[in-house]
Amino acid sequence: MEYLVLSIEILLFGALAALLVKEDFKLKVCSIFTLFASLTALYPAGYVLFTGETLSGYFENTPLFGEILLAIDPLSAIFVAVISVMSLLGVIYANGYMKPYLNKGMNTSSHCFFLMLLLASMLGVVTVQNGLFFLIVWELMSLSSFFLVIFEGEKKDVLKAGIKYLIYMHFSVIFIMAMIALLANASGSFSFGGFTEAVAQNPKLANIAFLLAFVGFGIKAGFVPFHNWLPDAHPAAPTHVSGIMSGVMIKTGIYGILRTLLIIGVPSKFVSYVVLVIAVISALYGVLYAITQHDIKRLLAYHSIENIGIIGIGIAIGMLGLAYGNNIVALLGFSGAILHVINHSIFKELLFFAAGSTYIKTHTRNIETLGGLIKKMPYTALLFIIGSVAICGLPPFNGFISEFLIYAGMLQGIPSSEMGMFITLVISIGALAMVGTMAVLCFSKASGIMFLGEPRSEAAADVKGDVSSVMILPMSILALFTLLIGVLPQYVIKFIMPPVSQFIGNQTALPIFESAISLMQTVSICFAVFFIILAVFLVIRFFINRRYEEHCTWGCGYNRANPHMQYTASSYASPFISTLKPLFKRVSHIKKPKELFPKDAYYELEIEDIEEAYIVNPIVKWDEKLLAKFERIQNGNMQQYILFGLIFLVLAIIRLIIWG
Amino acid sequence: MLMFILDILILLIMPFLMIGIIKKTKAFWSGRKGVSLFQPIWDFARLLKKDAVYSTTTSWVFKFAPVVGFASIIFAALFVPLAFGQAIITVPFGFVIFAYILAFGKFFSLISALDTGSSFEGMGASREACFSTIVEPAFFITIASIAALTQIYTFDSFKHILNGTGIYGYLIIALAAVTLFIMLLIEGCRVPVDDPTTHLELTMIHEVMILDNSGVDLAFITWGAAIKMFLFEALIANLIIPLGLNEWISLAAFLLIVILLSMLIGTIESSIARFRMTHVFEFIFIMTLTALLILALVTYRIYGN
Repeated sequence: MEYLVLSIEILLFGALAALLVKEDFKLKVCSIFTLFASLTALYPAGYVLFTGETLSGYFENTPLFGEILLAIDPLSAIFVAVISVMSLLGVIYANGYMKPYLNKGMNTSSHCFFLMLLLASMLGVVTVQNGLFFLIVWELMSLSSFFLVIFEGEKKDVLKAGIKYLIYMHFSVIFIMAMIALLANASGSFSFGGFTEAVAQNPKLANIAFLLAFVGFGIKAGFVPFHNWLPDAHPAAPTHVSGIMSGVMIKTGIYGILRTLLIIGVPSKFVSYVVLVIAVISALYGVLYAITQHDIKRLLAYHSIENIGIIGIGIAIGMLGLAYGNNIVALLGFSGAILHVINHSIFKELLFFAAGSTYIKTHTRNIETLGGLIKKMPYTALLFIIGSVAICGLPPFNGFISEFLIYAGMLQGIPSSEMGMFITLVISIGALAMVGTMAVLCFSKASGIMFLGEPRSEAAADVKGDVSSVMILPMSILALFTLLIGVLPQYVIKFIMPPVSQFIGNQTALPIFESAISLMQTVSICFAVFFIILAVFLVIRFFINRRYEEHCTWGCGYNRANPHMQYTASSYASPFISTLKPLFKRVSHIKKPKELFPKDAYYELEIEDIEEAYIVNPIVKWDEKLLAKFERIQNGNMQQYILFGLIFLVLAIIRLIIWG
Repeated sequence: MLMFILDILILLIMPFLMIGIIKKTKAFWSGRKGVSLFQPIWDFARLLKKDAVYSTTTSWVFKFAPVVGFASIIFAALFVPLAFGQAIITVPFGFVIFAYILAFGKFFSLISALDTGSSFEGMGASREACFSTIVEPAFFITIASIAALTQIYTFDSFKHILNGTGIYGYLIIALAAVTLFIMLLIEGCRVPVDDPTTHLELTMIHEVMILDNSGVDLAFITWGAAIKMFLFEALIANLIIPLGLNEWISLAAFLLIVILLSMLIGTIESSIARFRMTHVFEFIFIMTLTALLILALVTYRIYGN
C-alpha cells in the first residue's frame, strides 16, 4: 500500500518539478515522473488482482486531515491499473503532440502542473475510502481537468466549452455531496465501511442513495441526458488531454456508480430498469449523433457517450441479475461492463491520439477537408483503422469480447425472467446490435473520409510524412492491446474475476467464472480458425495472378475526376440521417444562386443536439431570466454593497435588542 | 468425415448453382432459353485468369479488403448448420460471432469502396451501411426470441421451435422465414432492394461498391456474395427441415429448399421492379415488424395463460 501513496507523491513532486525546469524539458520531466508513478502504482494493483486480497493503508501527516484511509480492493485495482497505463501512454504522446506549442508563450507550466495533478487526483478518487476526502479529490480532479481543457483559453469557444464543463461538473458534485451527506448522516461517519452498515440497517436509503449517485456520477461519465459537456470539452482540450479524459477520467464516474453499488448491496428491480433504459438510450443517442458529426474529436466524444452507454447496459444487466438473484446473468453483465471500461479506454485513447496526429499535420479537425492521408501517414492511418474496427465491437478485436459478454448475459437472462424483463432484454439486444451497426457506419465514414481517397483540401495534400515516433509508439502499444485482448480474452478475464466477485460473492462466482473462461477459450480458438482462413486466402490471393495495371478510378468513362467529386462525409451519412429525421434538429443556412450568372451560393447544414436545443437551452434561458432579477442587488456599485452591509448590521442589532 | 467434406463442397459449389438457378428462372419467365446452370462457375474461372486494374488513388485497403471480406464470409459459414443440420463450429452464442464477423467483412468492403475516391462507390457504401443499421436489430431480435423459446443459444435453436409450441411454432417459423428472406434480399442485394443486373450506377448498391474491383478480386467478391446469400437460404432451410430426419433425406430436403428459394428469388426478380430508394427503407422496416411479431408470439407462448 505504501507503493500507492508513493506513486501519488511522485506525481505531486512531478507537478512541482515541471514548474521549475525549462520549457523544452517540462514534458520530459512529466513523462519520467509518470513512468515511475505508474510502475509503483501498478505493483499493488497487480498484487490485488492476482491474489484477490484488499490492501489498505494510510496517507499520513496530511496538513489538514491527519491520516487518510486508502484502500485498494479489486475494483479499485482495475481502475488503478487502467489509470496508470493509460496516463503514462497519454503523457508520452504529449511529448510529441505539444512540440508545436512549446516556446510560443503558451502556459505550458500550468498545463504540466495540472496534468500531473489530474493523474494524482484520479488515483486518489479510486482508492480513497472516506466520503469527505473523496469529495475533495473528486473536486481536485474536476478542477485540474478544467484547467487542462482551457489550455488554449484565448480562443472563445475553448473558454466557453471549459466553463460549460465546469458548470456540469459542479452539478455533478452537488448530487454526489447529497448522496454522501445522506449516508454520512445515517451512519455517523464518513467511511465507506460505515455507509455499507448504514444501508444494511436502513434499506430504504439504498434506492435514493443509488439514484443520487447515478445522476452525480452519470454526469461525469456522460450518460444521456447529462452528456452535453462531453462533445464540447473534448474538441476544446489538447488531444492527449481528450484521450486521458475520455479514456480514463470519465471512467471514474463508472467507478463511482460501481462503488455505490457495492455500498448499497443488492439493488432493487426498479433502479436496475432505470439504469438499463438510460444506458440503452445513451448508447443509441451517442452513436446517432456521432454519425452526424464532421469534427473528428466531437465525433469521438459522442462515441464516448455510446460506449458509456454500453458499459451502462453491462452494469444494468449485472444489477438485474443481482435483483432477480440470477448469478450467471449478474456475473456476465458486470464482467462485460468492467472489461468494456478497460477496452474503451484503450481504443478511445488510440483513436483520439490518431485523430490528434492528423490534427497536428493538417491543423483541421473537419474530416470533410481531409482525405488521402493513408499514403502520407501510413502508420497513423493503419492505427486509426485498427481503432475503428475495435470500437465498432468487431471481432477479432477487444471491443467484441466485452460486447459478447454483455450479449451472453442478456441471452442467459432471458429464460428465467419475468415478462417485463424478457421483453426489455430482447429489445436491448436489438438496440445493442443497432448500436454496433451504426458504429460501423460512423467509423467507415470517419476512416474512409479522413484517410482514404484523394486529399480534399490543400491542408491535406500538403502533409509531408507521418508524425514522430514518440507519438506512434503509444498508439502502437494501444493497438497491440486491442488485438491481444481480442484474441486471448481468457487470460484477461481472469483479472476481471476478483472485482466481479465482489458483487456476487466469491463462492458463487468461481464455478460460473470457470465456464465463462472456457467460453472465452472457445472464442479464442474460433478466432485462431479465422486467422488461419484469412492467412490461407491471403496466400492464395498472393499466388494467383499478381499482375496488375494502374489506372485512374472508374468514373463512367470520365477520366478527369477531381477530389471535389468524391463522396463527402455529409452525403455518406445522409441516407441514414434522413431516415431518422425527427430525431435531429436541423438548422440549414442556404444562399440560393440568383441572377443569370450566379456567383456565390452555398448550403450549410448544422445538426444540433436535440437534448441541448430543447431541454438544456430553455432551462438556461429561464435561469438567466430569473437571475436577471437579482441584477439590481448585484450591480457592482461599491457604495450599495456598503449599504447592504449597514442594513444587515442594523437588522442584526435590532434582532439582538428585541430578542436579546 | 464424409459429411464434413460434403458440407464444404456444398458450401463452395452450391452458391454458383444458386446464381445459375436464379438466372435460369429469370430466363424462363422472360421466355428465353438462358445460359447454362454452370455459367457462374465459368465466369468465376474466367475472372481468375484476368489481370487486375488498380486505381492510382487506392491503397493497401483496396487490395486487402476482398480477401478479408471473403475470409469473413467463409468463417461465418462455419457457424451455420448446412446440409446435415450440423454446423461445423458450434459455440454458445455463435450467432453473435456470425453476425459480427460478417460486419467485420462489411466494414472493410465499405472502406475499400471509399478508398477509390469515386463518388459512385461512396454512394453505394453509404446505402449499404445504412441498410444494415436497420437489418441487424431485426435479425438479433428474431434470433434472441427463438433462443429464448428453445433455450438453445446457437443456430440449432431453429430446429427446435416446434417442440411443444403447437400452432404458434408454425407461425413463428413462417415469420422467421419471412424475416430471413427479406434479410437475404437485402444482404444479397436482389430485387426489390437492389437490381444486380442494372446498368445505371446511380441506382445500384452492392454492384456500385465494387465498380473498381477487377480480376481475381472481383472473382472472390462475387463468389463471397453468392455464399453469403446461400447462407441465408441455408438458415431458412434449417427453419423448415424438421428434427430427426435421416441424414440423406435431410440433405435432399436441404437441396430442394435451396433450389426452391432460388427459383422464388428469380420469380420475384421477373415479376416486380426494384423499389425507389426511399421505398426500400419501408420494405426493410417490414423485417423489423416481423421480428417484433415473433417477439410478441414468443412472449405470448412463454408467459400467456
